[in-house]
Amino acid sequence: MSEFSILVVDDEEEFVATLVQRLRKRGWASEGVLSGNAAIARVTASDFGVILLDMRLPDMDGGQVLQEIKKIRPASRVVILTGHASASEGEEGIKNGAFDYLLKPVEFETLLEKLQAAKNCSP
Amino acid sequence: MTFFVDRLTSFFHGKPRLTPAELQAAFRGHYKEFRALLTANNNALELMAEMEQALGPGHPFGMTFVRGNCTALSVNIYKMIQHLTRLADGRYAELDQPFRAITKQLEQVIASRSVSTEGTTILAMNEVDASTVDQVGEKMANLGEVRNRVGLRTPDGFVITASAARKFIEANDLQVEINRRLKGLDLDNLEALYTVSAGIQSLISTAPLPAELEEAILAHHRQLETGSETELLVALRSSALGEDSSNVSFAGQYRTQLNVSREFVGQAYKEIVAGKYKSQAIVYRQQRGFRHQDVQMCVGCLHMVDGAVSGVMYSRAPDDPRSPFVIIQAAPGLASTVVDGSAASEQFRVSRTAPHAILHRQAATAQSQSLTEAQAAELGAIGVRLEEHFGTPQDVEWSIDQAGLLYILQSRPLGRPASVEPQEPDEHSTTADSLPSPLLRGGVCASRGVGSGPVFTVRSSLDLLRFPKGAVLVIETPYPDWASLLNRAVAVVSETGQMAAHLATVAREFGIPAIFGMNQALATLKNGSLVTVDATAGKVYAGRVEPLLALAAPKPNLMAGSPVYKILTEALVHITPLNLTDPTSPFFRPEACQTLHDLTRFCHEKAVVEMFTFGERYGFNDKAAKQLVVENSPAQWWVIDLDDGFTPDFNPESRYVHLGHITSVPMQAIWQGMMAFPWGGPPPVSLGGLGSIIFQSTRNPSLDPAVRSAMAAKNYFLISKNFCNLSVRLGYHFALVEANLGEFLTENYVSFQFKGGAADQNRRLLRIRLISEILSEFGFRVEQKVDAMTARIEKKPGPYLLERLRVLGYLLIHTRQIDMVMADEGMAASYQQKIMADLHTLMDTPTEG
Repeated sequence: MSEFSILVVDDEEEFVATLVQRLRKRGWASEGVLSGNAAIARVTASDFGVILLDMRLPDMDGGQVLQEIKKIRPASRVVILTGHASASEGEEGIKNGAFDYLLKPVEFETLLEKLQAAKNCSP
Repeated sequence: MTFFVDRLTSFFHGKPRLTPAELQAAFRGHYKEFRALLTANNNALELMAEMEQALGPGHPFGMTFVRGNCTALSVNIYKMIQHLTRLADGRYAELDQPFRAITKQLEQVIASRSVSTEGTTILAMNEVDASTVDQVGEKMANLGEVRNRVGLRTPDGFVITASAARKFIEANDLQVEINRRLKGLDLDNLEALYTVSAGIQSLISTAPLPAELEEAILAHHRQLETGSETELLVALRSSALGEDSSNVSFAGQYRTQLNVSREFVGQAYKEIVAGKYKSQAIVYRQQRGFRHQDVQMCVGCLHMVDGAVSGVMYSRAPDDPRSPFVIIQAAPGLASTVVDGSAASEQFRVSRTAPHAILHRQAATAQSQSLTEAQAAELGAIGVRLEEHFGTPQDVEWSIDQAGLLYILQSRPLGRPASVEPQEPDEHSTTADSLPSPLLRGGVCASRGVGSGPVFTVRSSLDLLRFPKGAVLVIETPYPDWASLLNRAVAVVSETGQMAAHLATVAREFGIPAIFGMNQALATLKNGSLVTVDATAGKVYAGRVEPLLALAAPKPNLMAGSPVYKILTEALVHITPLNLTDPTSPFFRPEACQTLHDLTRFCHEKAVVEMFTFGERYGFNDKAAKQLVVENSPAQWWVIDLDDGFTPDFNPESRYVHLGHITSVPMQAIWQGMMAFPWGGPPPVSLGGLGSIIFQSTRNPSLDPAVRSAMAAKNYFLISKNFCNLSVRLGYHFALVEANLGEFLTENYVSFQFKGGAADQNRRLLRIRLISEILSEFGFRVEQKVDAMTARIEKKPGPYLLERLRVLGYLLIHTRQIDMVMADEGMAASYQQKIMADLHTLMDTPTEG
């Protein structure tokens, strides 16, 4: 079985770079992409343990990306991580199979706990 | 004394007639102002309480605290004046003058020492103590005291100061943009709030650190790393400055970042600074009147302790500030697992006296003991030492590393639960301290200390006059009126009330111990019996308990004697003394306000009066009134809907309304009281009584039926779902009942005004006395002026007020015309008996509906 790894999808380059670095430092294999299309391409190519997904992306709506990802890999765990709080968007996301809904900025330790939780219930 | 009649007459005739829509709009506007004023009032009183407590032991504070609190206080009092002026249609604008005068004096006091905006960006832990609180925040100042004054081991490290945070924000010119985003933010719109909060935090955490600051941080980090063989990991701890960190709802808002490695120190620092704009923090500051720029985030950067066993320690049991033992919670690993409750921990009780033996051990699972006897004893001794140093029980975070070295990570005043639940006596706390078992325990500590004296219960203004010097004041409700007794009382015990009550503030000002919210106080504490009140512990004992009285010697604040302490003391002179205690006094006027506390008291009192007289001040179009369809009623009842008092299916065109269409909770309660017992008809009138009525009628034209208008015979309910204003003219007397049952206790009130009667003054007086006695019995605060009376209850829960409304409803119907029989004492007594019997039956009857 391949390594449990994290995909960070967010259009803020500095955010993605810092988060990926910090995750790696704590022993989580991770990588980042800056757009919806890039995310779909990566998910098609390999199986990620968790996908951290922003809802505001330059090329696509985050909700759409979520649906595409779930089509390609129905068992994947997508955690929505957004700075635009919206209850309806959150509910929609959960309905469409998101694993969790987090609001930015999330405490790094909290995020690690969520990742651990996702890993613990992975098959 | 016909003012009441005049006002009622103008109610029916004198005012411009408002349409139903206009009336509703006026009511909603008033209601909104009233609620906003109460919120500002609560904020102001809480801020005053915090400033007074700052002088006591426990918290270091600096000019940032003094300045921020004074600003927030002024903001809230300014708001109160604005709301009152609008509530009173422009009156009370003259409050502006005392407000300006007082705040000017305050500014002069504060301006004598300014907060330095310049300063070092980093302080090593060896340089930190209480005197540096304006640079390092309260949490780090405390840790500095532990390290440098008490001399205990704390992690090495440094603090990135308030100046650093200011420079960081200024270098990126962020404050203007932050304020722009916060401006006009609707705090009730959670999605907008979270989005704005996230946006601001992202703005801060992605802005670059000024090169100078980044270098300074890294240089200090390198120093820490020296001598370390493995990669240095640090914990970054927030230490907010200028906010009330003792506020429980706020604790834990600003988190700590653990295990941060060198390359992420800058990022973690920025994230903690950005945490100042967490959504809860924005709401908290905005609601309490703090300016965001008056709060700064200082950050401690400390060596991570490689914890073998860690935990928390309370130098006393949180629910018993006199416990003779220290409580230690321990678990393997880092302290944070105990703090956030994620690990199964072991609990120890360790004696406060040497050799600090373990008295009790309790573990969630059958684990092996995590602390040795020696370690537990060492911790116990430290808990006692820290409490001595800070002058108040401490909540300590600690960790023992792999080498067996004990580190203190944090020490702060132990917060007491908001309300102490009565508990079974604890074997350790009672036997070891050899105290008798208390008569009462519980309540909230409104003012710390211990006092002893004979009980004196005060229920009315008459008791107030008889109050002996040196007695323990026992009351049902902490009304501000009782403040005049505090220079005579040695302690206060009240059945209800919170620490933010006016009387609590005054008690702290006078240094009188006070327990509020003590159940069963009136029933348990008998007049004349000697008791000892331990307000700090929330206990009342029979007799004089000397060991407790000896303990009561005050402990100084760490800051005592410092310039900042002196400035706060001077500032409080313009803030907390309460000169306006008696609303009926001729000196209860805007120009008599000498302190901010006077202003809050005046605004609050007048706001309640303005709400009480809403119905009197507004005329209304008669077409708005719907006649209530009732059978067997001695009078006509009309109902006016102010907002949401009718069910949605009610046809607004209808001239009649059935009880079933009425949603008003207070009106339904009054009505139940009115209808609970059939009215016995007019009492038998003696010839003298009748002659008295005829004689009065010839002299008082307002009582002549020929002069009365047709309108006056109608009785009006003005209602919304939670509000009711009833004006009644039954026979020859007038009465007004008004009630509001809101979401918050502070909005709740029932008021009752009563005047008139056809018999001669002597009989009317007797009746009013009868009604006063009955109402006092049911907890009303009664004021009597010649033959007019007002009775009020405020800040009580809904069910309690609904019962009182039923009592009023009953009295409205059943005291009709009894003044005619009042001259006959025997008959009066038997009426009173019947009334009390009926009322108790009524109180025991479950509410319909």
